Amino acid sequence: MQQDRVHVRLLIIAGVAFLWMGAVFGRLTYLQLYRHSEYLSRAMRQQQRTIEITPERGTIFDRNGKPLAMSIPVDSAFAVPSEIADENLAARLLSGVINKPQEEIEARFESSRSFAWIARKLPPEKADAISKLNLKGIYLQKENQRFYPKRELAAHVLGFVDVDEKGLSGIERELDSEIRGKSERIVVMADAKQRWFDGGEAKRERGASVVLTLDEKIQYIAERELATAMAKTRSLAGTVIVMNPNTGEILALANWPKFNPNKAGDSPSESWMNRAVSAIYEPGSTFKLITLAAALDQGITRPDEVFDCENGAVYISGHRIRDHKPFGLLTVSDILAKSSDVGAIKIALRLGAPRFYDYVRAFGFGSLTGVELPYESRGRVEPLDWKPVSTAAISMGQEVGVTPMQLVTAVSAIANGGLLYKPHVIAQLRRDEKVLPAEDALATAEPRRVIRAETAATLRQLMEGVVLYGTGPAAHLDGWTSAGKTGSAQKIDPSTGRYSPTQFFASFTGFAPINNPAVTILVSLDSPVGQHEGGQVAAPLFKRIAEQVLAYLNVSRDVPLNPKLIETAYMKRAAEDPSALEESSSVDFSGQPDPPPAASQIAKADAREQAVSTKPVLTVAVDQGGDIEVPDFSGKTMRDVTDIVLRLGLDPVLVGSNLATEQSPAPGAKVRHGARITVQFGTPLEKKSKPHPGIRN
Amino acid sequence: MVHKRKKAVTAEFHTVKRIDNSRLVRNVEPAKMRNLWRTVALGGVVAAFFMLYVFQHFRCIDLSFQLEDLKGQHMKAAALNSELKLEIAGLRNPMRIDMIARRRLGLTEPLPTHVQEYEAPDGAEVAAARFVRPNRAP
Repeated sequence: MQQDRVHVRLLIIAGVAFLWMGAVFGRLTYLQLYRHSEYLSRAMRQQQRTIEITPERGTIFDRNGKPLAMSIPVDSAFAVPSEIADENLAARLLSGVINKPQEEIEARFESSRSFAWIARKLPPEKADAISKLNLKGIYLQKENQRFYPKRELAAHVLGFVDVDEKGLSGIERELDSEIRGKSERIVVMADAKQRWFDGGEAKRERGASVVLTLDEKIQYIAERELATAMAKTRSLAGTVIVMNPNTGEILALANWPKFNPNKAGDSPSESWMNRAVSAIYEPGSTFKLITLAAALDQGITRPDEVFDCENGAVYISGHRIRDHKPFGLLTVSDILAKSSDVGAIKIALRLGAPRFYDYVRAFGFGSLTGVELPYESRGRVEPLDWKPVSTAAISMGQEVGVTPMQLVTAVSAIANGGLLYKPHVIAQLRRDEKVLPAEDALATAEPRRVIRAETAATLRQLMEGVVLYGTGPAAHLDGWTSAGKTGSAQKIDPSTGRYSPTQFFASFTGFAPINNPAVTILVSLDSPVGQHEGGQVAAPLFKRIAEQVLAYLNVSRDVPLNPKLIETAYMKRAAEDPSALEESSSVDFSGQPDPPPAASQIAKADAREQAVSTKPVLTVAVDQGGDIEVPDFSGKTMRDVTDIVLRLGLDPVLVGSNLATEQSPAPGAKVRHGARITVQFGTPLEKKSKPHPGIRN
Repeated sequence: MVHKRKKAVTAEFHTVKRIDNSRLVRNVEPAKMRNLWRTVALGGVVAAFFMLYVFQHFRCIDLSFQLEDLKGQHMKAAALNSELKLEIAGLRNPMRIDMIARRRLGLTEPLPTHVQEYEAPDGAEVAAARFVRPNRAP
C-alpha cells in the first residue's frame, strides 16, 4: 500500500518534470525555430553597431611642406529612432543643444527607424553637451572635417569640399579620388550597458597627400599686393600668376574677389571662380609679343627695321584702325616699346595669316594648358580663315580670347629661351611618406620648343625696352633687370556689343632678371577706375611683387641700387601703405584657433615691451622656417664644402680658391632647403678682418 | 469442505541489532580504484579545460573592453595632435604674422639698400658652383 503511494508520488513528480521540460523544450523550439529571425535581428540591433569609417582626406602642402588644407576628426550626432523611448522628450532636449527646431528633429526621427543624422560636424562643446544628455538611442560618430588654416590664402587653387568631404573645386575636386581615400565599414559589439567591445580593425587607406608647387610666402605676397591694388584701382576683378619660367611651376596664383574656403557658402559663387584658368579675355597689346615672336622667328623682320606707323591710323579692308597715339617711323623695337598697333598690324600682315596662326597655336592659345586645375578654358582662337582685318586685330590682341594661364605660359617660353612648359601646380603625391608615381595626367611633360633661342633672346631685349623707355617704366625694379609688356584692352560692352570706351582690361606680363629669369609674373586688372592703362596700374603691381619675390628667392641683383632715389620712393610709398593695408587686410581672425596660452602670454609680454620702447623700429620679421643648420666650413677645401653643401640640399656659391676662410650665413644659422651658402676661399692669412655687413641668407 | 481459517494477527516487533563492524576490513579492488581515479582525473581535466575556456572567454571580453578603451584614447590623442597641427598652421598664417609685425610690433619693410649682398671679387663666377637649371636652351 505504502509502496503504491510512493510510486504514485514519483509518477506525479516525473509527470510534472516532464511537462516542465516539455514546456521549456516547446518554448525553446518556438523561439529558436519560429521566431528565430526576429530575435536574431533584435539582438543584432542591440549588440552590434556597424560603423562607417570615414577616410581622412590627405593634407595639401605648399612646396616647403606648410599645410594649406587638412582634416581633423569631429563629432556628428545620429539617432536610432527605434531605441528612443520618448521621441518628443529627446527632440526637445536636443533642440536646446543644437539650436534646431524640435519639429525638425522629430521629423528626422520619423524619416527612418534605424538611422537618422541629428547634426553633423559639431563643435566640441555641443558634442559634449549631447553626450551628457545620455539619451538612449542618440549616439556620436567621429567624422573628418576639412579645415583651411590659412583661410583665404590660395583658396582658388585649393578649392573646397562639401559636408560629405567631396571636393567641389580646385585641387580638392581635381584630385578628389586620390585625396579622398576609401571608406570602410566595421562591426563592433556592445554589451548591455552599450559599452563597445570587440571592434574589428579597419584597414583604412588614407587619402594621398598633395605637395603643391605654390610657395606660401610668395602666394601671400601676390595676394596682399593684389588686394592693395584692388583697393587703389577699385577694379572689378584681378589675377596674379607667378611662375618659374624654367620649369613651368606655378609659385603663386591669386585672384580677386577671394573667398574663405572654410565658409565657402558665405561668399557669392562668383568669388569661387578661378579667373587665372577659367576667365578668357582679349589680351590687347600683350599679344604683340606673340606677333613679334612669330615674325622674328620666321626672319621676316629685324629689331632695327623701321616701319611707317602712318601717323596713328591704317586702313585694312575698309576698316580704319587707330593707334592709341600717332607714331611716325618706328623700329620694331620701338613698336613693342611704345606699343604701336599700326606697327604690329604691318608686321602681322607681312608674316601672313597661316604662319601667324601656327605660332599662335604653338604658343598654346586655343588649347588647354593642362594645368591640374578644374574648369580650365581653352580660350578662343578662330579657325584659320582669317581675313586681313582679323589678322590685324589679332596682331594687337583683339578677336582672340586667352586665359591668364595661357599668356603667362607663353611669356615664360620667351623668358626661358623658347621652350613651352606645361604649367603645373602639383609637385608630388604622397601616401605614408612615400612619393606616389605620377600618373599620366600629373606627369611632367617634356617642354616643347616654340621659337628659336636666338629669337627668344632678341625678344627679351625688346621687352626690356618696354620697361626702360616704353610704356612700362613703372615695372622697373630696384636692383634687378626686368622685361615685360603692358596691355590695355578695351572690354566689349554687353549692352552694345561694341568696345567700351570706359572699361579696360589692364595687364602687365614680364619676367626678371632678364639674363637668367627666375620668375615670370602676370598681372591683370579688370575694369580699373580712373587710371586704366596697364603701364599705370598693372606695371607697378608687377614691380611690387617682383621685388619682394626676387628678394625672397635670394636672386642676385644684376643692377646697382641708387640709395637716394630708392629711399625717397620707399618713404613715399610707406606713407601711402598703411591705409592700403588697412583696406586690403580687413580680415578678422575670429575663425582662427586661439593661440595657446603660452603663446598668448609671450605676445602680451612682447606688446608690453613694445609699449615701453617708444623708439620706432625699422626692421622686418622674417619667418625663415628653416631647419637646416649651416656647418662651419673654415679650413675646408672647395671639394669638401661643395659636397657638404649639396648633401644638405643647399645652393653653394664658392668665391676665391684654396681653403675656406669666411662664410655666409654664419655657422649654426638655420636656413631653409635650397638657401644660398656663400663661402670665401683663400689662405688663412688672407682672411679679412672686416666682416661683410648685412649678408642675407 | 473448506474450513475458513481465521487469519492470525501477529504483532511485528522491530528490534535494533547493533553490529560492530569496526573490525571489518573492506577488500579494496585495485581495478575499481584505478577506474575511479581515472574517472576523477578525466573529470578534472575536463573541468580544467572548461574552466580555462570560461576564463579565456571572459578574459577575452575584458581585454576587448580594454582594447576599445585604448583605441578610444589613441583616437583622442591623434585627434588632439591633428588639432594642434591645425592650430600651428593657423598661427603661422603669413597674413597674421604680417599684421602682428606691422600693427602690433610696428615693423616695416626694409629698404633694398638695407640688405646687402656678399660682394664677390672678379672671377667669382668661374669658381661658383651653382645649380644649372634643367632644359635650358643653348
